[in-house]
Amino acid sequence: MIALRGVSKTFDGRRTVTALDNVTLEIPKGDMAAIIGPSGSGKSTLLNLVGGLDRATSGEVAIDGQALGGLADDALTRVRRDKIGFIFQFFNLLPTLTCFENVAIPLHLRGWGRGRIEERVRELLGLVGLEKRLEHLPEELSGGERQRVAIARALSVYPPILLADEPTGNLDTHTGADILALIHDLHDRLGATVLMVTHDRTVAASCPRTILLRDGRVESDERTGA
Amino acid sequence: MNKWWAVAVLAASAMAQAQDARGIVEESQRRNRSKSQRYEGTLEVINAKSKVTTKQWEYLRLGDYGDSKAMLRFTEPPEVKGVALLIHNHPDRASDQWMWRPQIGRDQRVALQDRSARFFGTDFSFEDLEERDVNQFDYKLAGEETIDGAACWKLESRPKQSKTSQYTHSFVWIRKDNYVFAQIEGFTKAGLSRRINYREIQQVQGHWTARRLEVLDAKTNSRTVLKLEKLQFDAPIGEGEFTLQALRRS
Amino acid sequence: MILLRLISYQYVRKHVLRTLLTLTGIVLGVAVFVGMHTANQSVLFAFEKTIDHIAGAAQLQVTAGETGFEEAALERVQAVAGVRVAAPVIEAVAHTNLAGQGNLLVLGVDMLGDRSLRDYDLEGSEEGAIDDPLVFLAQPDSLIVTKPFAERNGLATNSHVMLNTAEGPKQFTVRGVMRAGGLTSAFGGNLAVMDIYAAQKMFGRGRMFDRIDIALNEGVSVAEGSDRLRRALGPGFQVDTPTSRGAQFEAVASVYKVVANITSVCALFIGMFLIYNTFAIAVTQRRAEIGILRALGATEGQVRRLFLAESAAAGLIASAVGVLAGMLLARGMAGYIGAFMGEVYGIAERAQQVSTDPRLVFAALAIGVTTSVLAAAIPARNAARIDPVKALQKGRHQSLGEGESRRRRRLAVGAVAISVICALGKTGPLLYLGYFVTIIAAVLIAPAVGVWLARMLRPALSWLAPVEGALAADSLIQAPRRTSGTIAALMLSVALVTGMGGIARASYTSILTWVDTSLNPDMFVCATEKLTDRSYRFPREVGDQLRRVPGVAAVHEVRVGRIPFRGRPIMLTAIDVAAFHSRAGMPPIEGDPEGMYRDAAAGKGLLVADNLAIIEHLRVGDVVELPTPGGLLRLPVAGVVTDYSDQQGDFLIDLAVYRKYWNDDTVNVFRVYVAPGAKGPDVERAIQAQVGSRQRLFVLTNREVRAYISNVTDQWFGLTYVQIAVAVLVSVLGIINSLTVSITDRKRELGVLQAVGAVRGQIRRTVWIESLTIALIGVLPGLALGALQLYYWLEIARRDISGYRVDYMFPFGIVAALVPVMLAAALAAAIGPAEAAVRGSLVEALEYE
Repeated sequence: MIALRGVSKTFDGRRTVTALDNVTLEIPKGDMAAIIGPSGSGKSTLLNLVGGLDRATSGEVAIDGQALGGLADDALTRVRRDKIGFIFQFFNLLPTLTCFENVAIPLHLRGWGRGRIEERVRELLGLVGLEKRLEHLPEELSGGERQRVAIARALSVYPPILLADEPTGNLDTHTGADILALIHDLHDRLGATVLMVTHDRTVAASCPRTILLRDGRVESDERTGA
Repeated sequence: MNKWWAVAVLAASAMAQAQDARGIVEESQRRNRSKSQRYEGTLEVINAKSKVTTKQWEYLRLGDYGDSKAMLRFTEPPEVKGVALLIHNHPDRASDQWMWRPQIGRDQRVALQDRSARFFGTDFSFEDLEERDVNQFDYKLAGEETIDGAACWKLESRPKQSKTSQYTHSFVWIRKDNYVFAQIEGFTKAGLSRRINYREIQQVQGHWTARRLEVLDAKTNSRTVLKLEKLQFDAPIGEGEFTLQALRRS
Repeated sequence: MILLRLISYQYVRKHVLRTLLTLTGIVLGVAVFVGMHTANQSVLFAFEKTIDHIAGAAQLQVTAGETGFEEAALERVQAVAGVRVAAPVIEAVAHTNLAGQGNLLVLGVDMLGDRSLRDYDLEGSEEGAIDDPLVFLAQPDSLIVTKPFAERNGLATNSHVMLNTAEGPKQFTVRGVMRAGGLTSAFGGNLAVMDIYAAQKMFGRGRMFDRIDIALNEGVSVAEGSDRLRRALGPGFQVDTPTSRGAQFEAVASVYKVVANITSVCALFIGMFLIYNTFAIAVTQRRAEIGILRALGATEGQVRRLFLAESAAAGLIASAVGVLAGMLLARGMAGYIGAFMGEVYGIAERAQQVSTDPRLVFAALAIGVTTSVLAAAIPARNAARIDPVKALQKGRHQSLGEGESRRRRRLAVGAVAISVICALGKTGPLLYLGYFVTIIAAVLIAPAVGVWLARMLRPALSWLAPVEGALAADSLIQAPRRTSGTIAALMLSVALVTGMGGIARASYTSILTWVDTSLNPDMFVCATEKLTDRSYRFPREVGDQLRRVPGVAAVHEVRVGRIPFRGRPIMLTAIDVAAFHSRAGMPPIEGDPEGMYRDAAAGKGLLVADNLAIIEHLRVGDVVELPTPGGLLRLPVAGVVTDYSDQQGDFLIDLAVYRKYWNDDTVNVFRVYVAPGAKGPDVERAIQAQVGSRQRLFVLTNREVRAYISNVTDQWFGLTYVQIAVAVLVSVLGIINSLTVSITDRKRELGVLQAVGAVRGQIRRTVWIESLTIALIGVLPGLALGALQLYYWLEIARRDISGYRVDYMFPFGIVAALVPVMLAAALAAAIGPAEAAVRGSLVEALEYE
């Protein structure tokens, strides 16, 4: 379960920018929520805070009851590693590594054995339908395939939470729909909590819950019947 | 004193007026002639800062102007005892000089080029210790002056061979009453270099002689006073006292 | 150059650290150049002044090499028409026994005549009277010291000083202190004056003088005077002006100059690659900016000039800093060089003033700027060729330099071919060309080899650390531009160290062989603690006393001294050749190995050390003319042998010949062989008891002599350690530079790694691995180049520097030490960048630009 209590985030520059302003949210285990809002409304900031990539200026972010604010960097990383999978708009695959290697990164980082990694990576790539592309480099893949690799990487240890930042933002409509379907499928099959930032109304509409942010505040939090 | 080496350097005369000058020096030499001389000298060197160092030497001379031999031996203070200088004077040229330093254990010729050096820290130069014959110089009467209350002739002397002397010319004052040297001033190109005054002139064994010499080094303003004691003329001294072997015996 | 201010300044401001690192490369290079040369010049200048001061008003000096000549020559000189003053001089080096004061040059002079040549401006007196000149002359322990020396050691008139003399340590009494200035500035004040005859006695010189200083009469020209003197004295004597003595010494110091130059060139050359690297990176990073400039109408020429101007400005600033650093460095170096000269002259020269020649400063600035501009030339050209359209397309990389690297590879292949041809040919110019081309080839080929090696290493690295290792290797494979300069710099550094180490090792080995065959006596009985100090000598009789010591099997007398040969002071060794050969030998190079000793023993020939033979082009059969006080000695070369007795090489003649021509039967060293069955330490004790009680002597065992020789050799190679330090430092800077860029470039990648769960330790590790890989990639070709370089250096050294023939030997020991050192340095270099990598904001790293 993801819980935000009175979370604010400000960026200090020449002008202090408030990206999130006293946000309180709860996303129960197994939920699937879309975060929408105009540019600069704080969507990505929210996602980064939940994912432990950034720290809140005030308030508390907790994952499964564990407050992230009090954790040291490496402890935070461990939370991220064990509980959270990231899917980025621009995939963020490492261009020099093959699909296999890219997916294997988090497992290696956990210190898994080679055999176990091999088994899991094949399984994951099978899950996203790329079992034939093991030895390809990212640049040899289409945009949709790259995002599938990225999703496989995010799923590497079957984390309970999946965070996606505009997962379809860099894809054409058709491929975007495929990826969305994949995410839904994975949500259904694996029962992970999914939090997805999107611009795309269709994407948002496909989620049972839609949170609208505006100027760093939660403007609406609706559950649709889907 | 009638028989002082440095004095003798400057004896002579010749020609009309010059003849007179030379005649005066010749007369001086003639009157002060002696077969030998011996004395004990006490030296006080007073430098420009009035610091005084005292030494003693023993002096022996045999023979006469232009042909004499002299031996000079330091007796005091203890650290210089035995240092000696042997001089063989020649009528026609500069003398030969050897020095001896017992601690180093060897004799050493004093080269002609070095004769202008100070003699062992006194205000005499090695050259001033020579005796030279009247014939090695040209003389000219330069006037008459009174030195220490005594009337004197003032003579100018120039060495005939320039290389043999550090001085370009000298002035010599000779007392009219007894033909004894009263004062000498030696000049170099730079001007007055050295002045020697003869004081306490007394008669010893029939020889008029100064018992006290005062040397002034004009450049450094350092003075040396030499007192002659136990002065003895014409005592029998053997030739053997004036050889290199004798020098090394010190 | 408004562009420079608007564009470049901003860039520099954003990359302060990297700019500084790059500049440090030039700073170091220029600093070494200025430092070494300033120190060298200052010491030489001080030495020349010292000679000047010691010479005083002397217009000419009469010498007969180091061997000295009989006193009788003085009267001959004084009798020469036109000579106003001729003053004999003895120069002896005496150890002071005072902590930190080292040696003292004792000038033995004849106080009577010397005054007119040298100004002994003494304390507390008007015309420079010694406290009591009579006492000074009367007492052989009288010494005049300089004011600086007196002040350093709290001495005043009548103080006592201990000096080592031929009769053992003796107490001297200070009779006067020379006022500062003139003579006192010679050897930084480590100079004392005493009576020449006392000095003869104290230093066992018999009735010999070293030198006669001469002032001429007015109107007699120096040429005229020296001509008359030469005619009066004959061929055994040299009549020279005092300054030519300084020139002779300069010739001795020239070896050092060569080493200094090589170091500077290496540092600058390595620095050049750092600059190249930085500019290559800058051009890549500023692609968009350059694209905008081009789009706004800047011509190719303007863009190129912008980068060249940047490099010139950077070069100028860095050179200026380098000049300042060099001046500081010079202070330290001056001591070192002074000590080095001390080895040759006997007393360490202290440079009083370390001042930098304006011409040197100008040259250094010019060199720094030129290096910088040269290094930036290729990146500037690449910048000018950037296509504005492509550059402005985000996310698209224009692949620069594909053609360039192909061209480079082709050039490199050509260069390799040329260098192989040159290596086969053995003539001088071809050798240098070959060396030059080899370096060029190595530099050209380095980036390709780097990438190739990185590919080779990738599997191993990813096996070791699957993520970190693979990514580190990929980083190198993907962006060779980032590291090629660093790798080249590393390669050159390693090659430098390998080459130097190789020379050192080869020299050691050759020297040890020579020591084994030639220096095999059980003991050496010397008049001084040091085998090479020639200030004191033994009377001949000591040899007979030694022979009577029980347990002594043989005693060989050795007389050594420098004599002038073709304008240079060359060592002459005189020994009973037959006796020597019966027990020892020297590795023969040319000539009949047995016959040469027979001829030399019979006085029908001499032996020449290999290095001297090469430098002076002497072959067996050539007749050598040696000037001696007894006339010209003509001897044919009977053999060329390996002999490391002296850096300049030496002649070996029979002792009987020496005694006849030099009329000198003193002895420097006795080579003592112990009888079979007798114990070394017992014999040593017996010598000390029987002979040492009457005569001051030092017994050096064979082992001590060996230790001494390896110590001296070490000292000689000490300079090369400076080079090694500079090389390693420059490489570390290069690695830091490359890594700093690398982590900037890999910011996103590292961010992703952290996002997917890499802890900080893992991020650090990838930076470390990258650093180690860079080091490894630089070190491996560096070792190969070093092996080649060593070959060229040995050849060059043999031909043009020392003449020593040394066998090629790869310095495995040094390499074994060097590789870990370089890897450790790489790890150290990675610490900063690794910390910077984990410190950055993750959100920023992951954001799309």
